[in-house]
Amino acid sequence: MRLTRLLILRSLRARPTRWLLSAFGIVLGVSTILAIGITNRTALLSITRLFETTSGRASLVIVAQDADAKGFPETLLRRVADHPEVDNAVPTLQLFTVLADQVSTGEIGLDFFGTSTGGLLLYGVDAQRDILVRDYQITAGRFLAEDPHAYEVVLVQSFAEDNDIAVGRSIQVVAGGAVESLRVVGLIAKEGAGQLNNGAFGAIPLVTAQRLYDRDGKVDQIDLVVKSSSASGPRLARLKDELQAHVGADYAVVYPAAQGQRMTQMLGNYQIGLNFLSGIALFVGAFLIFNSFSMNVVERTHEYGTLRTIGMTRSQVTRQVLIEAVGLGVVGSGVGTGLGILLARGLTSAMALMINQDLSRVEVQADIVVFGSAIGILVAVIAAVVPAVQAGRISPLEALRVRGARREGWIIRKGWLPGSVLLAISTAVLVANPFPYDVQFRAGSLVVFASFAGGALMIPVTVAAWERLLRPAAGWLYGGSGRLGSANLQRARARTTLTVAALMIGVAMMVIVWAMTDSFKGDLDVWLQGYVGGDLYVTSSLPMGKEVWKRLEAVPGVAAVTPVRYFEVDWVKPEGDVEKITFMAVDPASHAQVTSFVYTEAVPDEVGALRQLAGGDTVFLSSVLAERAGVHAGDEITLVTRTGRRRFAVAAVVLDYYNQGLVVEGSWSDMGRHFRQSGANAFMVKVEPQTDVAQVQERIERTSRSRDQLIIASNASLLERVNGLMRQAFGMFDVLALISMLVGFFGITNTIAMNVSERTREIGMLRCVGMTRLQIVAMILAEAALMGTIGGLLGLVFGVVLSRVFMLAMTAMSGYRLTYILAMYRVVAAVVVSIFVSQLAALFPALRAARSRILDAIHYE
Amino acid sequence: MRVLDASRLTKAYRMGERSVMALAGVDFGVEKGEFVAIMGPSGSGKSTLLHLIGGLDRPSGGTVALAGQALEPLNDTAITLLRRRNIGFVFQFYNLLPTLTAEENICLPLLIDGKDLQPYQERLERLLGLVGLEDRRHHKPEQLSGGEQQRVALVRALITEPAILLADEPTGNLDSRTGLVIMDLLRRLCDELDQTIVLVTHDPRTASYADRVVFLRDGQIIRELHLVGEEPAGQSLGRIIETMQALETDPGPTVSAAADLPANGSP
Ligand SMILES: Nc1ncnc2c1ncn2[C@@H]1O[C@H](COP(=O)(O)OP(=O)(O)OP(=O)(O)O)[C@@H](O)[C@H]1O
Ligand SMILES: [Mg+2]
Repeated sequence: MRLTRLLILRSLRARPTRWLLSAFGIVLGVSTILAIGITNRTALLSITRLFETTSGRASLVIVAQDADAKGFPETLLRRVADHPEVDNAVPTLQLFTVLADQVSTGEIGLDFFGTSTGGLLLYGVDAQRDILVRDYQITAGRFLAEDPHAYEVVLVQSFAEDNDIAVGRSIQVVAGGAVESLRVVGLIAKEGAGQLNNGAFGAIPLVTAQRLYDRDGKVDQIDLVVKSSSASGPRLARLKDELQAHVGADYAVVYPAAQGQRMTQMLGNYQIGLNFLSGIALFVGAFLIFNSFSMNVVERTHEYGTLRTIGMTRSQVTRQVLIEAVGLGVVGSGVGTGLGILLARGLTSAMALMINQDLSRVEVQADIVVFGSAIGILVAVIAAVVPAVQAGRISPLEALRVRGARREGWIIRKGWLPGSVLLAISTAVLVANPFPYDVQFRAGSLVVFASFAGGALMIPVTVAAWERLLRPAAGWLYGGSGRLGSANLQRARARTTLTVAALMIGVAMMVIVWAMTDSFKGDLDVWLQGYVGGDLYVTSSLPMGKEVWKRLEAVPGVAAVTPVRYFEVDWVKPEGDVEKITFMAVDPASHAQVTSFVYTEAVPDEVGALRQLAGGDTVFLSSVLAERAGVHAGDEITLVTRTGRRRFAVAAVVLDYYNQGLVVEGSWSDMGRHFRQSGANAFMVKVEPQTDVAQVQERIERTSRSRDQLIIASNASLLERVNGLMRQAFGMFDVLALISMLVGFFGITNTIAMNVSERTREIGMLRCVGMTRLQIVAMILAEAALMGTIGGLLGLVFGVVLSRVFMLAMTAMSGYRLTYILAMYRVVAAVVVSIFVSQLAALFPALRAARSRILDAIHYE
Repeated sequence: MRVLDASRLTKAYRMGERSVMALAGVDFGVEKGEFVAIMGPSGSGKSTLLHLIGGLDRPSGGTVALAGQALEPLNDTAITLLRRRNIGFVFQFYNLLPTLTAEENICLPLLIDGKDLQPYQERLERLLGLVGLEDRRHHKPEQLSGGEQQRVALVRALITEPAILLADEPTGNLDSRTGLVIMDLLRRLCDELDQTIVLVTHDPRTASYADRVVFLRDGQIIRELHLVGEEPAGQSLGRIIETMQALETDPGPTVSAAADLPANGSP
C-alpha cells in the first residue's frame, strides 16, 4: 500500500498534466453517458407519467378511433358505466382554443416533430366525477362548482401567471367564431392534469363546454375506473377486450399509458443519435486514457527498468499501472458524474424545447449513475491493460541503457500484421453487416473500434514512407531545420504512432460528424423547401374550413392557395403489425400550383402521378417508410380507414421528414371519404410574381385575422426558424467534433514535450554549433506539422469510409436514406485543421526548448 | 563458502545475421566476504558477465548458481525474487527514482517485498551513518550531488542484506576524489560487514581496493591477480598496472603467478 502510494502519488505530482489528460478522458466518457442516459430517461418517464397522471387512476380509456372525430354520444357513457366491472366512467370533452387577446401575438409553434398545436387546451369535465381519475392540486381559489352550467374555468397557475390572469377575473376565449367569457375560479399546480399541453390547460364544466362549441351530448374521451379485482394483469386485458367488443369498432379501448406511445416512438430516432454520441465519447475517452498511459510507460521505461532490477516482478509492475488506472477511473468517474448531471440539465432543456414538454424534473436515478461510473472505471482499466502489460515486459536491462537505440516493441515492429488483419476483417464485416437489428448498434461500434485499432497498428511501418514523402514539404516550409525535424519523426516511432493515431481519430470523428450532419441537413433543406412551399404559411389553432380557403384566394396578390391537413392513421405493415403514422392530406391540383414534391425514386410521369393521387385510393409514400417496408412505387400499402382496412396504390416515393418520415401523402378527397376528416391545419400561399410578400402578408392579416385567428408566417422566416432548431439539435455533434480534435491537440503537446525534454542535450548541442532559437522552433514545428499531415490524411480516409458505412447502417435501422454530402471545403478543412492544431499544440514546447540555455542543456543528465 | 559459482558461461548477441560472442566460456566463482574486481578493455564482456551473474539476463550457455541456487531452472518471477532478496546492484548512473526522496529510494526494495520497515530502521541508520548521508535523507535525487546519489544507490543495494553486491563502474561517472570515497566505503563494507562484492571497472586505482582482480578480454578470463591485504595500496596498484601492460603485449590467457596465494586476501 505504501509502495503504491509512493509510486503513484509521486508520479502524479511530477506529471500533473498527463494525469489530468487521462482523467479528462474518463470525465468525458462518463459525463456524456450520464447526461444522455439521464436525459433519455427523463424524457421517457415524463411522457409516461404525463399520460398516467393526466388519466390518473383510470385503468382504461375509451377514445374515438380517429383522432379528429366529432366526438361520441354521451349514451355510450351509460352503456359502459353499466358494465359490472366498471366502477366509474368519467367523460371529457377536449377543446383547443386561444385567448381572444392573444390572437394577435400568435406564433407558429415548432417542435422537432412538426408544428405543435399551441393554444389553450380546455377539458370539459364532470366536476364531481373527474377528481376520481385526475389529480388537480388547487393552489388558489377553488375547483369547479357542482353547477354544470356555470361559465367558470380552472387554469394552471404557471399559465395564469404568464398571461397575467388572477382568480376572480374573467378570460375571453375564442369559441366557434365568437368570443366567450369565463370566470377564473381557481388555479391548479402544474402537476397531474396540470401538465397537459405543457401547462396551457384549463378545466370547465362539461355542459358549458358542449354549449360553447355546439357539441351538445358529445364527449371525446371516457376514462374508466374499474373494480380493484380487475384493475391489473390478464383480467384487465380481458375486460379491455370485452369492452372493445361492447362499444364497437368506432371506438378504441386503450391503456392510459398507450397514449404516450406515439411520442416515445418519435423520440426513438433522436435517441439512437444520442446513444451514438455517448458511444463515441466513450471511445474517445478510452483512447485518451490509452494514449496517455502508453506515453507514460514509454517515458518511465527507465524507471520501470530500475524497479525491475531491484526486484519488482513483472506482475507487480503491471499491477501498479492498473492500480493507477483504477484510481484515475474512480476520480474521473466522480468528477464525470457531477459534470454529467450538470450537462443533463442543459440537455434536458434542449430536449424539452424539441418535444415541447416540461422536463424540469431531471431524473437522476441511481442505476444510471452506478452504470456510468462503473463503465468509466471499467473503460479506464481496459484502456490501460495493454500499456500495463507492456510496462511489465520492460527488461531490467532497460534501466542500464542510458540512451540510444532501444529495441522497439513488438507492436511497433510487427503490429502491421494484426493491424492489416483487423482492418480487413472489420471492413468485410462492415460491408456485409450480418448483425440482427437489435445488436447492430453495439456490434457496429465494436467493429468500428476494431477498424480504428487496425488503422493505428498500420501507422508505424508506414512512418518512414510518409516521412520521405513529406520531407520536401517540411523543407520548403521550414527550411533546413524543417528537414531535420522531419527526420526526427522516425526516431521514436511508438510515440509518433500514438500521436498520429490520436489525430487520426480526432479528424475521423470530425469528418464523420460533418458528413452526417451535412447530409442530413441537405436532405432536410430540400424537403423543407417543398413542405413549406410557396411564399406564405398560414395556420391556426383551430381547424380551418373551406371558407378560409376561399377568403385567402380572394386576397389581392395571392396567386394560389393549397390546404394541408395531417392526422394519425394506422398503417398495417407487410408483416401484419400496425404502426401509427401521419396521413398528410393535400389537394393535388392546387398543390402543384404552389409547391412540388421531391421524388426520391425516379417517376417517369410526375403529372400522371399527381393525377393518380387526385383520383383517390392512392398515396405518395415517404422514403423512410418505403425503405423500412421495402415498398416501391407501383406497390400497395394497407391503411386502417373508418370502413376497415383498405389498400392504397403507391404512386410515388417522396422525400418527407414530417413526423420523422413516418408519413404518407394522400388526397383531400380520400381524407373525407375514408377518414371522415375535414378542415385544414395549414394553407400554403403562393404570391403573384413581382408582388411584395410582406405586403400580401399584411393584407391577409388585416382582412381575416380577427375572424379566423390566423397565424401567418413568411416561408423565409419559417425556414430560418427551422434551421435554427436544426442548428440546436446538431450543435451537440459539433461540440463532440471539437472534443475529438482536443484529443489530438493534447496528444501532440504531450509528444512534443516529451521529445523536447528527452533531447534537451541534443538541442543544446545544436545551439552550440550555431543553430538559432528560431531554427530550433522551426525544427520542432516541422516535426509536429508532419504528424498533423499524416494524422489528417489518415483521419480523412477513415472518416469518409466510416461515415458512408454509418449512413448505410442508419438506413437499415431507421429507414433514412440520405444523399451523401461531404463538401470539398470540408475535406480540405479536415487536413488544414489537423495541421493547424499540430502547430498550435507544438508551439509551447517548441518555445520552451528554444529558450533553454545552452549550458543547461549540455550539463543535463 | 561459495556465494557465486558460474561455469562455462557464454553469451552471444545476435546482430542480424552475424552474432557477437560477448562471453566465450567463463568460469567464475566468488567466496563469501570476497571483494573481486573485473577489469578489461571496453567491449570485453565485463557488463555482460555482471548481468548474467545478477540474473538480469539469461546466458546462451553455461550455468550460474547464486547462494546455492541454480538460476537456469527458475522462471522470471523466481529470478526476480532472488534478485530482490539476495543481490544488490549499483550502476554507473545511480538509477534512483527522481520522484522519491533518498530515504524512500533506499527503502524501495523493502516496500516492493511488502516488508515492514520497522525492523530495518537500525540497519538504515547504520548504513546512512556509514556513507555519511544522515542529513540528506529527505532530499530528492536532483538535490544531491553525483557522489551523494551514488551513495544513496549503494545503501539501497545493501538495505536488504544481499548475499552479493554487484557494481558496474560505480565510480565511472564521478571525479576521482569522490570515486575514492566510494571505494573506501566498499572496502569498509567488505571488512566490517563481511559483504561480498563484485565490481566492474577499467580504472586500476579502483581495482586496487579489491582482494582479487579478474582480467577479461574478448569474452574470456585471461588472467587473475590476488592482492594481499597487508601490502601497501601503492604496491597493489603497481602490480595491476604491470599486469595490464603485460597483457597488452602478451595476449596468452594465463593465470598470474600470484594464483597460488590464498584466495581470500583480506585480513
Ligand atoms: N544488447 C546487445 N546487443 C548486441 N551486442 C551487445 C549487446 N550488449 C553488448 N553487446 C556486445 O557485447 C560485447 C560486450 O559488451 P559489454 O557491455 O559486456 O562490454 P563491457 O566490457 O562492459 O564494455 P564497457 O567497458 O565499454 O562497458 C561488446 O562487443 C558489445 O558490443
Ligand atoms: Mg560495461
